Amino acid sequence: MPWASEETLNRIKRSFRTVDVYKSPHFARISVENTHDITNVLKHLKDVEDFRYFIDFHVIDFPKEKERFLGQYILVNPYNFERLVVKVWFKSNKLPTAKNIFAGAKWAEREAYDMFGVEFEGHEDVKRMFMWEDYKHFPLRKDFPLGGIPEQRLPSLTELIEGNTLPPSHDYELMHTYVPTIQDIEKTEKSRITKRGQLVLNWGPLHPGTHGTMWFLFDLEGEHIIQTDVILGQLHRGMEKIAENLHYFQFLPYTDRMDYLSAVCSELSYVQSVEKLANIEVPLKAKYIRTMFAELQRINSHLLWLGTGALDLGALTVFLYAFREREKIMDLIEGNAGFRLTSAFLRIGGVHYDLAKGTLEVAKHFVKDFYSKLKEYNGLLTRNRIWLKRTKDVGIITQEDVYQYGLTGPVARGSGISYDMRKIDPYAAYDLVDFDIPVGDVGDVYDRYLVRMEEMYQSAKIVEQCIEALEKMPPNEPYVNKKHPVVIPPKEDVFNDLEDMVKSFRIVVHGENIPKGEIYSSGENPRGELGFYIHSIGKSSPYRLRIRSCSFYNLSVFPKVIEKHTISDAVALLGSIDPVVGETDR
Amino acid sequence: MNDIIFTGIVIAVKILVVLAVTLGLGAYLTWYERKFAGHLQARLGPTVVGPFGLLQPLADGLKLMTKAPLLPRGIDTKLYYMAIMMALVPAIMLFAVVPFGPSFKILGHEIKPIVANLNIAILYLFAMGSMAAYGTLFAGWASNSKYAFIGSLRKAALIVSYEVVLGFAALSVVLLAGSMNVFDIVDAQIKSGIWYIVYQPISFVLFLFCLLAESGRVPFDIQEAEAELVTGYNVEYGGMKFGIFPLAEWYLNVLALCAIMAVLYFGGWSGPHLFGPFSGFIWFLAKTFGLLFFVLWVHWTLPRYQAKDVVEFAWKYLLPISILNLVGTAFLIYFKG
Amino acid sequence: MIKLKKLKRNDSLGPVETVLFLDFIKGLSITMKNLVRKPITTQYPKEKITPPRRFRGKHGHFVYDGQEPPSLKAIEGFMSFEKGKSRCVACYMCQTACPMPTLFRIEAIQMPDGTKKVVRFDMNLLNCLFCGLCVDACPVECLTMSDIHEMAVYRRSQAVLHINDMEQIGATNAKAVRELPDRIWRDDKERETLWGKVKWNF
Repeated sequence: MPWASEETLNRIKRSFRTVDVYKSPHFARISVENTHDITNVLKHLKDVEDFRYFIDFHVIDFPKEKERFLGQYILVNPYNFERLVVKVWFKSNKLPTAKNIFAGAKWAEREAYDMFGVEFEGHEDVKRMFMWEDYKHFPLRKDFPLGGIPEQRLPSLTELIEGNTLPPSHDYELMHTYVPTIQDIEKTEKSRITKRGQLVLNWGPLHPGTHGTMWFLFDLEGEHIIQTDVILGQLHRGMEKIAENLHYFQFLPYTDRMDYLSAVCSELSYVQSVEKLANIEVPLKAKYIRTMFAELQRINSHLLWLGTGALDLGALTVFLYAFREREKIMDLIEGNAGFRLTSAFLRIGGVHYDLAKGTLEVAKHFVKDFYSKLKEYNGLLTRNRIWLKRTKDVGIITQEDVYQYGLTGPVARGSGISYDMRKIDPYAAYDLVDFDIPVGDVGDVYDRYLVRMEEMYQSAKIVEQCIEALEKMPPNEPYVNKKHPVVIPPKEDVFNDLEDMVKSFRIVVHGENIPKGEIYSSGENPRGELGFYIHSIGKSSPYRLRIRSCSFYNLSVFPKVIEKHTISDAVALLGSIDPVVGETDR
Repeated sequence: MNDIIFTGIVIAVKILVVLAVTLGLGAYLTWYERKFAGHLQARLGPTVVGPFGLLQPLADGLKLMTKAPLLPRGIDTKLYYMAIMMALVPAIMLFAVVPFGPSFKILGHEIKPIVANLNIAILYLFAMGSMAAYGTLFAGWASNSKYAFIGSLRKAALIVSYEVVLGFAALSVVLLAGSMNVFDIVDAQIKSGIWYIVYQPISFVLFLFCLLAESGRVPFDIQEAEAELVTGYNVEYGGMKFGIFPLAEWYLNVLALCAIMAVLYFGGWSGPHLFGPFSGFIWFLAKTFGLLFFVLWVHWTLPRYQAKDVVEFAWKYLLPISILNLVGTAFLIYFKG
Repeated sequence: MIKLKKLKRNDSLGPVETVLFLDFIKGLSITMKNLVRKPITTQYPKEKITPPRRFRGKHGHFVYDGQEPPSLKAIEGFMSFEKGKSRCVACYMCQTACPMPTLFRIEAIQMPDGTKKVVRFDMNLLNCLFCGLCVDACPVECLTMSDIHEMAVYRRSQAVLHINDMEQIGATNAKAVRELPDRIWRDDKERETLWGKVKWNF
């Protein structure tokens, strides 16, 4: 269901002679051969073929090809939810800009410039996205080393203070990559906004109101905001570059550090993409376990949203009530995976361990209690006149905004667009359980609040159904598909069986033998659609791993919507968009 | 001569008692609020320092006083220090017109447990309440910081609007009682046998809102909305200089206004004689602390309003209601006698 | 067909609710209900919650004591083991599986009789993700993770784990953890302040 059909592709090929189409069960693309045609192709796709929902734009670096960079657009038809990838080669590192067709391409092109150094005709004063203004290099190019370019001497404190010459640990290095100074940062700040109002207020980068280290610049006229800009990059860790140097199973702990509030959901999206690429079938018990934990994490993440959103708007007690429920969920996850937050519970081919004894009873106890707690939160906030005054008709996001900027998740569903990956392309056990998707009407902060509260209720229902199914399963059902050549077998087999030990050796040392190909697959994070594009050339690490992060595109609508609102509305709007900086910056 | 010395001693003793009790009580109100907020939020408040955490305010005071005094660059030093005094002094001066109980006799002289028995006590109340605006304005201007500036502007707008409403609300009670002297108001309630809250519920609700606004408590604490302005006008103050602001604004102001509210609407020290000679004092304290409990309860439950909504609320809704209430009361008194 | 649920948006208060402040009273009653409930605090450090069996804490090495899995028996002849010391075979699987390339430093030498002996096994815990991939990769059940989670030190050099610390942990702490049943948590009483009484099926 998610990929474009043969007829659509043939229709496009008939309209444009110079495109090349390709379709497989997990991928559908058209390649534009002339770089100048790309604007016409995109306009045709948007207006005539109805591919008007912009999902992603990214760049791949092929240093040995004639033209070095390949750009890719991912578009979706919001009426029948078909997805299409459009590829085009850059011409001498330049490409016509797409920001007049899809407004969300502006941020994507800034990131492409920042990471690859490519230019866009029509998007002249492109600024860097994550790095500071004067940074000289382009990190995601293939000739930039993984450890950066060490050009600054950064001694440790024991050297400076005690004059100790013994290195503190065996991997200590004296030379470090360049660290930005205060002057660099001030230059970045000044170049982002030209003052038109009375006062430029720095909201961030360290502020209890922004959900993480984001830096906003507000141009104020009294209490009203005239224009604003966001400076990101304080938490940029270069995960896409790291992925090009690790095996597929080693990248798993990194995926739960992106959206650290709902780690299992992010891991699920990643593991799904690798499994689709390598054609791995997951056993039924693992599917149910994955679904149950993903929905528990969804409740976890929405509770944190509720707590911090209410805290920002002044209701101080809801924060602690939400955290009381979160403690319970984290106890459940800790008992099964070992860690509360960054759990690394899933593995390619299944889950890491079977369920611990007692999990199902504890989960049943939690769900029974949770319904009454949801009524408490509703009683405190939903019909409270102060809450209504703060959130009704504030920050209205229209359907056109959703299509142009690529908004997904509760932000899109609050505006009336029923885009939920769990129903469009069901993965794990989502086609075996019964649930509804709440959809809003107006698109203001109050609608998004109602959508998320209803989603928590639906998630609790899914968890109940998964518990029922898991209780009925016979014991000793397999939880990992160990017959597949790419999956690492579990520990008991490695100790007792020579073949499995050799297989484990082979996969850990030489990496998995994932076949050549490419895939884009996405899952429904609590914040939106988290997509992974993997381009594999048959080696043990991906050639290019692109993380299509939902918080990044959700945040890009903030500067447009916040104009003419006040600072207090900015707080409410940011809380309802619910970005997580680990995912925005990767 | 003897009389003057005696009166002087009595006044000095009263001032000392009131100062000591209110400052000590203000410090211990922090303990009370933290414990209350803790249990409301399914957790314990302070428990480690002393039994039940009772020595926590002393530990806090010691910590604040021993912090390194940092002065930011570019401040206006005179206003910076004067702001602290302008915040604290009016809050303490409010206690000069709070009556703690009925008058009693010592050594043949009748003593009223109030520091200054003014005939215009309610007017004095408004004056001291408005002076509280100076503290925040000076602090916000002298801090040389954008956050402090915005916070103090918000608070100035707030105080100006809510003072007017406070005036009209309290005036209805004054009309009923016939005088601005606090003792006369309480005596009028005791004589008629009914507390004024039964006659003036609308005025009570308006006074409650003004109390929450004047002392900067949720739902009206716009000048220190944490998610927007990170403690607002006192963001550049540290150590005990910072400690004075919440003490004066959140605790002393609220305590004094709660006491006045007990006097105006709940009959001061009237109540059945269950506790012997001190029952008046005990009833007064019970009513004040009951109202304080309610104020804290509201603080930790409701969200907060936006700055422009607060001011709009005062001018568009509260002021017409208070004027109508005043006119209605006047008509009722004229026709009912 | 996607099953939608259009939200009922009940967003304005009736006149009775506005005048009598019924929405405030409802909120106040909820907080009052919570005021009289028992608090859920665990007063650390007086009362601590023990981590469950699968917890991923500080690393340890199981020692050579006769309880090894069959995969070790296959290469026992090539190694020079001492009773009570680590049973590591220096296969470098943990180092290869770790997402951080420079975390492990393992060195082994060849003894005069041809057997192999591990002389150095350092782990820089400051860089560690505590993901457990190294434990999954160890083929002889040597490397493991205990339940020690309080690891604060004053210097960077004190955060590097050496082989003698790890043997200590493996002989005492990790061994006790391995003997536990595979239950969701260890001590039910500690968790009762938060959860209340849970109905168990076994």
